[in-house]
Amino acid sequence: MIPIPRKTTADAQRMMKVHKECIDSMKGVAGNSVLKCATPGDTTTVTGGIHEDFQLNRVLLRMRAQPAKGKLVVVCTKVEKEWRIARLSGIRGVPPEFVTDKVYDNEQDPQHDIFVMRLDEFAEFDGFPEHFREGWKRRDDFWTVT
Amino acid sequence: MSWMKITGYADKFSVHPGDTIKFFVNCDGPAEYQAELVKMIHGDTNPRGPGFMEEPIKADCNATYKGVKQEIYSGSYGFVADKPQFCVESVTLQCWIWPTTPKTHPKYWKHGAQGLVTKWCDGKGYGLFLNEDGCIEFRVNDQVITTGAPVRDHAWHFVAASYDAATGEATLYHEPQVVYALDPEIAPVTKKLGTKLAYVPGTPTVIAGYCGSITDSPQAKASVPPGVLIKGHYNGKIDSPRVSSKALTRLEIETMKLGAQPGLSERRNSGPTGKLSESIVASWDFSDGIDTIAGKDKGPYLFHATIVNCPTRAMTGYNWQGQVFDWKSAPEQYGAIHFHDDDIDDARWAVSFEWKVPEGTSSKFYAAKLTSKDGDEDYIPFWVVPRVGQEQSKIAFMVPTISYMAYANEHLANNAGGAELLVYRVPIMQQQNMFLSEHREYGGSIYDTHTDGSGLCLSSRLRPILSIRPKYDHFLAQAPWQYPADLHMIYWLEKMGYQYDVITDEDVTYDGLARLENYNVVISGSHPEHNSGPQLDALHNYMQRGGRFMYMGADGWYWVHSYHPAYDGIGRGVVTEMRRCESGIRTWRADPGEYYHQGTGELGGMWRFRGRYLHTIAGTGMSSEGFDISTYYSRTPESNDSRVAWAFEGITYDEKLGNFGLVGGGAAGTELDIVDTMLGSPPHTLVVATSAGRHTEGYLLVMEDYGFNQQGLDGTQHPRVRSDIAYHETPNGGASFAFSSIAFCGSLPWNNGDNNISKLVGNVLNRFMQDGPLPAPPPAAIMHRGRADYDQPMNKARK
Repeated sequence: MIPIPRKTTADAQRMMKVHKECIDSMKGVAGNSVLKCATPGDTTTVTGGIHEDFQLNRVLLRMRAQPAKGKLVVVCTKVEKEWRIARLSGIRGVPPEFVTDKVYDNEQDPQHDIFVMRLDEFAEFDGFPEHFREGWKRRDDFWTVT
Repeated sequence: MSWMKITGYADKFSVHPGDTIKFFVNCDGPAEYQAELVKMIHGDTNPRGPGFMEEPIKADCNATYKGVKQEIYSGSYGFVADKPQFCVESVTLQCWIWPTTPKTHPKYWKHGAQGLVTKWCDGKGYGLFLNEDGCIEFRVNDQVITTGAPVRDHAWHFVAASYDAATGEATLYHEPQVVYALDPEIAPVTKKLGTKLAYVPGTPTVIAGYCGSITDSPQAKASVPPGVLIKGHYNGKIDSPRVSSKALTRLEIETMKLGAQPGLSERRNSGPTGKLSESIVASWDFSDGIDTIAGKDKGPYLFHATIVNCPTRAMTGYNWQGQVFDWKSAPEQYGAIHFHDDDIDDARWAVSFEWKVPEGTSSKFYAAKLTSKDGDEDYIPFWVVPRVGQEQSKIAFMVPTISYMAYANEHLANNAGGAELLVYRVPIMQQQNMFLSEHREYGGSIYDTHTDGSGLCLSSRLRPILSIRPKYDHFLAQAPWQYPADLHMIYWLEKMGYQYDVITDEDVTYDGLARLENYNVVISGSHPEHNSGPQLDALHNYMQRGGRFMYMGADGWYWVHSYHPAYDGIGRGVVTEMRRCESGIRTWRADPGEYYHQGTGELGGMWRFRGRYLHTIAGTGMSSEGFDISTYYSRTPESNDSRVAWAFEGITYDEKLGNFGLVGGGAAGTELDIVDTMLGSPPHTLVVATSAGRHTEGYLLVMEDYGFNQQGLDGTQHPRVRSDIAYHETPNGGASFAFSSIAFCGSLPWNNGDNNISKLVGNVLNRFMQDGPLPAPPPAAIMHRGRADYDQPMNKARK
């Protein structure tokens, strides 16, 4: 397992910088990846990001595998105009709740803010033996698949 | 925040000129709403494209209507109307259960006691329940006994209860069929209740729920039976429920497990013994009529239960032995029905308005646009389809309505944590998703699990389907998907001035070749993944006779679907069924022994594992998927072959094909198909362009293509993670062009349709729509070709 570095470390700082550059370069694309477009908004040539920063790649995978309960998500509140960050309840019938008041004017920026929020929220060493709990036997192992 | 105050659906997807289509609208808040029919042209609001486009059409139903709230009463159950024989003084209830949510979170959408076998309403009557603590509970009027032992989820239990009016004694049995070493004993519980059974008039006997209330409110007419609101929907399987009119001993209960089988005496009266037969009120056998929506009563009164909201049948019963896997071969081992609290087969709303489609109406995409003065809005899409023999064009666009139904009201971004792993970014939810996350009664898609976590394998079109909407970006693509994505193609057909008809999967399934044979060319949707067998037959028969086919997407012809025949009486293609078996990309996996469709009895799963390879239909088949971003194609030397070079007129060899688009920013993306002659691509197929080597790590090879879990399966490494644009001729002057990417059509509207993808598709369509057979290939192209053999001189690179 790859630990999730604390936000103040040099590793985390580097990852946040790379992540932001990639997300900024994806503005305008109907889609998104943590890769850098050579021409902003154009996916003809993409490099860097998850293809070249191994630690960022692995940390993002762990974050993405979080089970639904408490997971951050983006909600489009006005088509093509406004987006906000919300959190899934993990309970059928209980809708996601907004977690910040920030309203975004593009669909890519919340991707980066969620990455930064997760650096704070995720345990550094979850998934190692010292964190064994009974839930590991019942699929509560903090790694979900469809 | 309140999402989507207006929702609606129609009684038909596909309507012929001269016929009437009915619309059902829920308007929850606004005093009135405006209905206006529109022709749909472009559904994508992306500012980089041509933008949203619709055209109002004149219709006598265009008007302002009073807003009326309509409710969906989801959750499956069986019921028998109030009958005096159920109004007993003493009673015994028994059944096997396999509960899936015996305990639910206090905020769970249907938290509370669940009914198993009940004739109980408002503190009167009797019933076996699972209480809030997950324990078996027996109710006799307002009195209750329970074992206090929580039932184990996903395990079989035998449960029974009796009440003796003479002694006032009630007894409850809970006998787990799976007992582990450290499980406590669960002893029967007996208690003196001393009450006289009374009944609320009109209370039905309910299996997998109980009668919550009887009301004359207008909304409640949508419940079954009308006005009776069923509550306490049970999640899980029930097998062999019985009701007897006396308090049976434990031994008699054991004997009664045999059910009302006749034949133990020459009189053939119901059993299981002469004495017990006298007390049988009902003895249901769900193994009889698995393909129906009735629960057969084998007892003397023939109290067949009406099964509401289409629970899952053909489910392994308590006695399944793991030797037979097809319910048709041993139905007696398939006597269980799996009920779910979110099953829905028909919203059953009151008609809000209707439209008689005038003769001569052009066959196109249409929708009823519903708006309120406060800015609320919804669209109810439908398609005007010509009658067979009255085709209006040489071109038909085949709307993948089974695939739309498979994705209907899909909840993955909200339910499935793994959705983010799949799309390689944080999913974006829209108002439709937010509404559905709260309104579970609208039901889910075949990609979802039920609220109890079991796979959802049946989908009805008689409910508002909020994913079949314009202005809707799907989390998978962060762009249009299915219906709105197919409007990319429709926009292009309109922009280029083609005359085209639209036909749907259900038309092709029910009409067969007749539905296709009068067209020169049939065009698929962007993602025709879910198909019935008759539909695939019709496509093959069409191409065999010289028909031309343009496969505009990818991941087509993947899953076995069948329309449930029990609903044929209320329309074509009302409920579609699909089972996710041992391979293929599956958001859930069917349990062992549950691979066969309940409706048609056919083996479910992938067509590939029924011996119908995907690649046989259009020449290419699914190889990989990834959802972060798309890329472009390069031409191959085979594109210069005279058999196909005409497709590239006006396109230079070195051009990047489709390095632009409204889905992922390129033409090659999301789901990708390739040529594979070992999986059914004809050996003379030409690959004219490929996206090989350009996909991201988010793209992964499909699991049915490898046996070992191994590294090296992603788009940065594996050569099969690519899309191949391919062409092959079919007999009698027919042909197929496969564009092999779901994102492909998203490039068509780019620059208002002036781009090289548009040029390529135009060249193909212009050739394919011609009358008569296509020009014969050059004689040199006629040669022996192996399937596995790769012989370079015979497949030489062509200049």
